Amino acid sequence: MATVTIKQVTKAFGDNVVLKEFNETFGDGEFITLLGPSGCGKTTMLRMIAGFEKPTSGEIYIDDQLVSGGNTFVPPEKRSIGMVFQSYAVWPHMNVYDNVAYPLTIKKTPKGEIQERVGKVLDIVHLTQYAKRFPNQLSGGQQQRVALARALVAAPKLLLLDEPLSNLDAKLRESMRFEIKEIQRRLGITVVYVTHDQTEAMAMSDRIFLINRGVVQQSGTPREIYNTPSNQFVADFLGKVDFFKGEAADGRIVLPSLGGQSLAYAGPRAGRVDVAIRPESIYFDPDGPLKGRLEAQYYLGDVDDCRVRVGDALVRVIASGYEYDRLKDGQEVSLGVRDFMVFEDDGLLEQMLEIQT
Amino acid sequence: MKVQDRRSEIVCKATLAAVLLLGIALLLGGLWGKRQFEAAGFSQENAFSLIHRLSGEVDRLYDRSIAPAVKASGADPAKAGETARTLLNAAWKNEEAVTRALEGVGQDRLTEREFKLLALTYAVNGPKVKTSQRKQLAALPASEQADLLSRTLLSATGNEQPLPEAAEELCKGLEGADRTAMLMQVFLTTANLNGEPLDSNTIAEFKKAVRTDETKITAYSWAAGEKLSWLSQAFSSAGKTFMLIGILLMLDAAVLFFWLLADRHWQLDFKWLIILLIVDFLLVFQVLPTVNMVYRAFFPEGHFSFSTISRLYTYDLNLGALRNTLIAAFCTMVLGTLLAFPLAWLVGRTNLYGRKFFRSLFVLTYMVPPYVGAMAWLRLLNPNVGDINLALRAVFGLGDAPGPLNIYSLPGLIWVLTTFYYPYAFITISRAMEKMDPSLEEASRISGASPIVTVARITFPMMTPSLIAGALLVFISAASCYGIPSIIGAPGRVHTVTTRIIDYVGRGSEGMNDATGLGVFLMVLAVIILYFSDFVVAKRQYITVSGKSTRPNIVDLRKWRIPVTALVSLFAVIVILIPFATILVTSFKVDLGKSLTDPGNFTLNQWSTIFSREEMLESLKNSFIFAMAAATIGIVVACTMSYLLQRTRIRGRKLPDFLITLGSGTPSVAIALSLIMSMRGDFGIDIYKTAYIIIVAYLIKYLMMGMRTVVSAMSQIHVSLEECSQISGATWLKTMFRITGPLVFPSIAAGWFLIFIPCFYELSMTTLLYGNGTKTIGFELYEYWTFTSQPMACAMAIAILTIVVILNFVLNRLTKGEFSI
Repeated sequence: MATVTIKQVTKAFGDNVVLKEFNETFGDGEFITLLGPSGCGKTTMLRMIAGFEKPTSGEIYIDDQLVSGGNTFVPPEKRSIGMVFQSYAVWPHMNVYDNVAYPLTIKKTPKGEIQERVGKVLDIVHLTQYAKRFPNQLSGGQQQRVALARALVAAPKLLLLDEPLSNLDAKLRESMRFEIKEIQRRLGITVVYVTHDQTEAMAMSDRIFLINRGVVQQSGTPREIYNTPSNQFVADFLGKVDFFKGEAADGRIVLPSLGGQSLAYAGPRAGRVDVAIRPESIYFDPDGPLKGRLEAQYYLGDVDDCRVRVGDALVRVIASGYEYDRLKDGQEVSLGVRDFMVFEDDGLLEQMLEIQT
Repeated sequence: MKVQDRRSEIVCKATLAAVLLLGIALLLGGLWGKRQFEAAGFSQENAFSLIHRLSGEVDRLYDRSIAPAVKASGADPAKAGETARTLLNAAWKNEEAVTRALEGVGQDRLTEREFKLLALTYAVNGPKVKTSQRKQLAALPASEQADLLSRTLLSATGNEQPLPEAAEELCKGLEGADRTAMLMQVFLTTANLNGEPLDSNTIAEFKKAVRTDETKITAYSWAAGEKLSWLSQAFSSAGKTFMLIGILLMLDAAVLFFWLLADRHWQLDFKWLIILLIVDFLLVFQVLPTVNMVYRAFFPEGHFSFSTISRLYTYDLNLGALRNTLIAAFCTMVLGTLLAFPLAWLVGRTNLYGRKFFRSLFVLTYMVPPYVGAMAWLRLLNPNVGDINLALRAVFGLGDAPGPLNIYSLPGLIWVLTTFYYPYAFITISRAMEKMDPSLEEASRISGASPIVTVARITFPMMTPSLIAGALLVFISAASCYGIPSIIGAPGRVHTVTTRIIDYVGRGSEGMNDATGLGVFLMVLAVIILYFSDFVVAKRQYITVSGKSTRPNIVDLRKWRIPVTALVSLFAVIVILIPFATILVTSFKVDLGKSLTDPGNFTLNQWSTIFSREEMLESLKNSFIFAMAAATIGIVVACTMSYLLQRTRIRGRKLPDFLITLGSGTPSVAIALSLIMSMRGDFGIDIYKTAYIIIVAYLIKYLMMGMRTVVSAMSQIHVSLEECSQISGATWLKTMFRITGPLVFPSIAAGWFLIFIPCFYELSMTTLLYGNGTKTIGFELYEYWTFTSQPMACAMAIAILTIVVILNFVLNRLTKGEFSI
């Protein structure tokens, strides 16, 4: 299978730098996800790997072959890559079979072999009975699977997926997510997957690259990224999080916005910090360090999504559904904090808020 | 709720019944009036034909048709003669001459003679006395002039008098009607000592007098005398109009009834009134004339007969015209598409130098009147003096023999048609090409196909529907073109169906049947093509606008970039630059055969004339008024229809849409022909040779251009934008003005111009529909080119082009660069 090595790749459209010094190696058989908000440069990276865009500077290798960089440029058709497009790009003038057979026809594969391989791949995506249909007779999910089958039929060493699930409804998206993962595992190919949906990224990836404004913010396994985010952006992008300004000193962090209450802290940081707490890390505990008043609770079945007024701030608490009804709105409560993250107060949080508003 | 439903149902049904009854009453009233009139010894058909023979057909100088008309009218000879004499005096301002002309005619033939004279007076459209000849005549001494005057007149009116020498000379070689017309011109020229023929105002006034209601009533009363009451007079003089309105009302009531029945909800909707109004308009001015034309082709004498058709289609000249039309249209289609596809691809999808410039250049050709191209190529490829021929002869030393290229031939016709109609295919194809989702091609590349293979296997097949649609558009446009074959074909004897039709119409009433027979051929051809491109090909249209803004993939031409750009530039120079330069240069020439740089061959005369000659300014004004009227009415209808189509689910909204599509697909010549035949009073509407008939024709032909523009703009605006405004408290009207209006305004402006521009320089329909006060600039140009002065026509062409380019610029500014044509 294939490795992808990206060396110091920068891409600019005119003055607009969309990707800055991307430097990474995707390992053989890995499921890599490029994750980030729209416009962050993730699709541009994918299109550079495919060969639809040329890097402004830097080099891209597939296995050990230089495909982009310097004076070398291997056009997309010579890269032996499979790709699924966001719009699926299923050709409307060919039926399902012809669509899927296309990469093999281009390679002048013998007819019998084409038939056999298309049959096999259609079987994998459960489309065997639709082979003679035209795309306009297929649902979105079926078209998506045609696109996937077409990307897989030539047995590529590398599969690129550009937000392939974004046009599907929630149920179908979830089942396709596992189906794609399953196919990847079975075929053992390297996959580079682009999405802005963190759940998708978490569920499928071996490694996630979280990108924002052209810069990789953090890379690692879903667990690493979720649990030890390298900065406020990463913490905020993956999962739910509340930020509070604090002052770290003498083993405690004082939080002025929470009415000056404090949390025990044994970490290395001191001085002004940003404290990030995930709502699910907070729990109701009569002995807890934070005192507040319950303002509202929303019953969601599995969990009870609560808002607690602590000092001037409204703290979100995701308690187990079992808590609902045991607590009353307006009641004084104490909160325990299982875990929290501390970042240096470097102004990033304000920048993020500025972008959001 | 139920009671209310019941009540609205009753109101509904009562309204329908009232409308139906009113319709029936009008129909019966009209029938009764007609019967009364006929019982009084006069038929409406005769009254109308009398009037038209006096005004319309007389223009073409069929004097022999006057006599039967007068006879048929059974009019009181004394009264009829009096009217004719008054008109004659008014026209000539010379009672003595009139009296002299009528001297010595027996009482029994006096009325006939009077009308004949009147007819001759109208004969200003016949061959004209040339300026030099006019000078010659003016130089004669006064006594000789008087003699010439009376003798000419007498011989013109059939008194067996020998012609004066001067007149004889001018009439040499002319026969029949043409001879009489020339004699009349000589008379009129000498009658006015300043040497000018009657000015156009007098003539227009004069014709108006014949056509006004006053004269109509006079005509009726000649026939019916005092025998009729005012009521029956009203019903009889407007009987057919009443019947027409009656039938329409009945139809409307019936249609409404079925819509309501199908809705199962008895609630009258204001929108239906609008739909029915539009439908009724189209029924009267489009469907009825078309049906009538087809009917007349197969029922020439009131009963079914193939006689007209079989006579027409066995006549060699017509068969030749038919063959020429089909060959020319087919070759133009093939050549045009072969040119358009690579050009559209190069301009839209490659890194050709100056793509945007070339794109606007090719599209702009679309806005140029086709006859201008014909004129240019005529100057360039005339076998004797064409500039390109001269150059070729000089370069290859071919001597003085004509050639080597000859524009007056079928290939010449095809060449000019191609250079003017390839933009139709270009626009259709490049639009589809630019809208194509780029990932469709990327998917092919990543599947291992090279750019060339991708074009062949993905781009091209996906373009096929647009390609076919574009090709069919070129075919039908070329087949129904009149401007180009009339300029190139006539001198070269390369006839096409359109030129044959107009020849036949020129022969007056009996030619009409033949014209109809040929017109039906064009119609059928157009309907077949329309069916294919709108209902078969459109169904297979693959290109859909994707919601995302897409950057089409640009193919790098690499080492071919410069050579290909050079090739495209060469094409642009040959097809666009040289022809227009030729027209421009010719507009400054004195002698066509000489170079502009020869001493004394440069003049601004043409230019000063076109801005000062009264008829020219009159025609220009007419063109502006007609085109503006058509564009304004058209855009109102277009906006209404777009709203109905895009924002309502009301039953019947597709009906006007269908009719409008059909109308725009009908060849211009067929539209004009059918209007002539049906709008002369036979069906209660008499607008022949007025401005109205021209505006109606323009509307039918070009309404769709505007409508499509507005509809597509409207479909891009999501309903939620309007709903949001309404939820914010704005009324429907306010929403239209504040939200929808501003959003679609650029398209409305573009739609207006898209109707205005082709109407402004229209030729084919105007040729058939113009009357004396309603000439347009396009027709004026055509007349100057054919009969008078080619440099003058060239100056006019450049003036028209300039106006179109300025309008395009205004449009571009008005829509902030979003639209230009």
